[in-house]
Amino acid sequence: MTISHFAQDAAQIALEKFSRGEIDRRSFLVALGGLGLAAAFKPGIASADASEIVVCNWGGAATDAFAKAYGDPFTKKSGMKVVIDGAGPAVGTIRAMVESGKVIWDATDGGMIDSLTLGKGNLVEKIDYSIVDKSQVPENFAGEFGVSNYVYSNVLAYDADATKGVAPTGWADFFDTAKFPGKRTMCKWIQGQLEFVLMADGVAPADLYPLDVDRAFKKLKPMLADIIFWEGGAQTQQLFREGEVVMGNIWHTRANLLNKETPDKFKWIWEQNILSASAWSVPKGNPAGKKVFEFINSTLDPAGQLVLLQIMGNGPSNPKTLALMTPEDAAVNPTTKENATSQIMLNPAYYAEHETELQNKYLDFISS
Amino acid sequence: MRNFKTTALLLTVPASLVAIGLYAAPILQVLALSLTEPKLGLANYQSLFANAAVGRVVMTTLKVSVMTTVLTVLASYIVAFAIIHMSAGWRRISLFLVLMPFWISVLVRAFSWITILRRRGVLNSTLMDLGIISTPLDLVYNLFGVTIGMVHYMMPFAILLLYANLSDIDRRIMQAARSLGARPATIFWRIWLPLSLPGIALATLFVFVFSLGFLVTPALLGAGKTLMIAEYISVQISSTSRWDLATSLSTMLLLVVGIIVFAAMRSPALRAAFVARPQQ
Repeated sequence: MTISHFAQDAAQIALEKFSRGEIDRRSFLVALGGLGLAAAFKPGIASADASEIVVCNWGGAATDAFAKAYGDPFTKKSGMKVVIDGAGPAVGTIRAMVESGKVIWDATDGGMIDSLTLGKGNLVEKIDYSIVDKSQVPENFAGEFGVSNYVYSNVLAYDADATKGVAPTGWADFFDTAKFPGKRTMCKWIQGQLEFVLMADGVAPADLYPLDVDRAFKKLKPMLADIIFWEGGAQTQQLFREGEVVMGNIWHTRANLLNKETPDKFKWIWEQNILSASAWSVPKGNPAGKKVFEFINSTLDPAGQLVLLQIMGNGPSNPKTLALMTPEDAAVNPTTKENATSQIMLNPAYYAEHETELQNKYLDFISS
Repeated sequence: MRNFKTTALLLTVPASLVAIGLYAAPILQVLALSLTEPKLGLANYQSLFANAAVGRVVMTTLKVSVMTTVLTVLASYIVAFAIIHMSAGWRRISLFLVLMPFWISVLVRAFSWITILRRRGVLNSTLMDLGIISTPLDLVYNLFGVTIGMVHYMMPFAILLLYANLSDIDRRIMQAARSLGARPATIFWRIWLPLSLPGIALATLFVFVFSLGFLVTPALLGAGKTLMIAEYISVQISSTSRWDLATSLSTMLLLVVGIIVFAAMRSPALRAAFVARPQQ
């Protein structure tokens, strides 16, 4: 997807917590740092020069006060300022920048799939693994054109009151309206959607890709009337809270927030959760040159990734973070061993190839 | 006088430049993209017409827009007709109430409708408490909810357009009709309705054209299942990077709206709506 819907949502979660006073300013800034929203947090178009790193992400919650509060200490440490541009590193925008020779971003938070799309278009630099420590992340998180900064999962969340305390055991229960009557919700953005439908239909995890779209649509068709499609994370919480749906495929971060609100009522299962990796990419001809890889390397640090998990729920891409976790942290983290036993990983290469076509087919299918 | 005219004309130059720079130029850019992305030619338009999914989106848009237009104009006519028959004091209060929704953003209005229409919302709870229904009705996250939200959005516009037209109608004609023995129904069907046709035509055109481009309301109240043109274009721009599809569809929408407005303006009813009225 050329928009990272998840990253936008994660920043929103942090902002809400900050404004409710649940986290202090420093933690908020550290969390944004882990998201790549590090140091200075500056709206609008950032102008870049070689003495600073310009990071582009899906921000939105920006004030210059953050720049002063966090930017200055960071500058002291590394000698370089980090400027955040929350304009959103859409593939199209990066393409326009690179092709016109006016690149202003050094690192973009666009996900593994985008890194492949951009790499194919010759629009991004290869990740320099002489500077970025490859051993910090699992092999499949260290791509040629993107290295993962955090992960998240699509999980099956449910309303335990509505199911009378019975927990679903996997995606098949999403379709079992006899056992679990009531409406469902799933996402109108394609990533992680057809996978769960196919698993519910009995497809083995190893055989998921290439996705059998016709089979998935056939399975989904009779359910359509009972499904409300969500497009943003906040909406999934609203649908559960208002009793509009009894179960759904939502991001684990939102399932966790629902559970924190009403622990006995809203729960989720890790069975068959679908893991996605977000990733940094470096547009070709970035202003800070090789220096950006030092910044990227620093975001793989376990300490920062732990704070990100504690504040926003985003899972760490660095497995060493697991050792730092309390049992409470580990329980809500998608990469914890017990949570990942039946986990499947979203296939970035497949999506880089087929997502546009799939997304449009899917929209057409759910709206007709 | 000539000098004054020149000065007046010159004064409009800055505004015109802003309008051209911020409005015309981007539209031309969209047009250019639709002809050049990814290569020069009309191929994008050809594939637009061959695309069955786009056809379905267009049909949904037309269906929703026609439904919205009919319901809006009908309901607004009743309200406007009632308002012109009120005393001055009540009329002021009523017009104030009609204008109130203008102060509330379209987002807030959409969320308010969700609160009212959802399964455990105000309406369903009340109906269930009264024992009228036993299971909640599906009033939102479907075509029904989208139509309600859109009619609500469009009604103030239509009411004001119809109100302006209806209050211009010369009441002495009705007095004359009554003196000749016409019943109220006859007066409505043979005098009010024909004389208000320009207002109805204008409101219909306005509401229909406006409805074609709705984005927020169908996206929120339709929950993915009521996909209209504007949302489809927005997805193609930001999510799927299909700029070829987005720009050619945008251009077609603009063209179709242009043709509708142009054709409608040639109808006698609409021309009458724009003719300067004699001061009474």
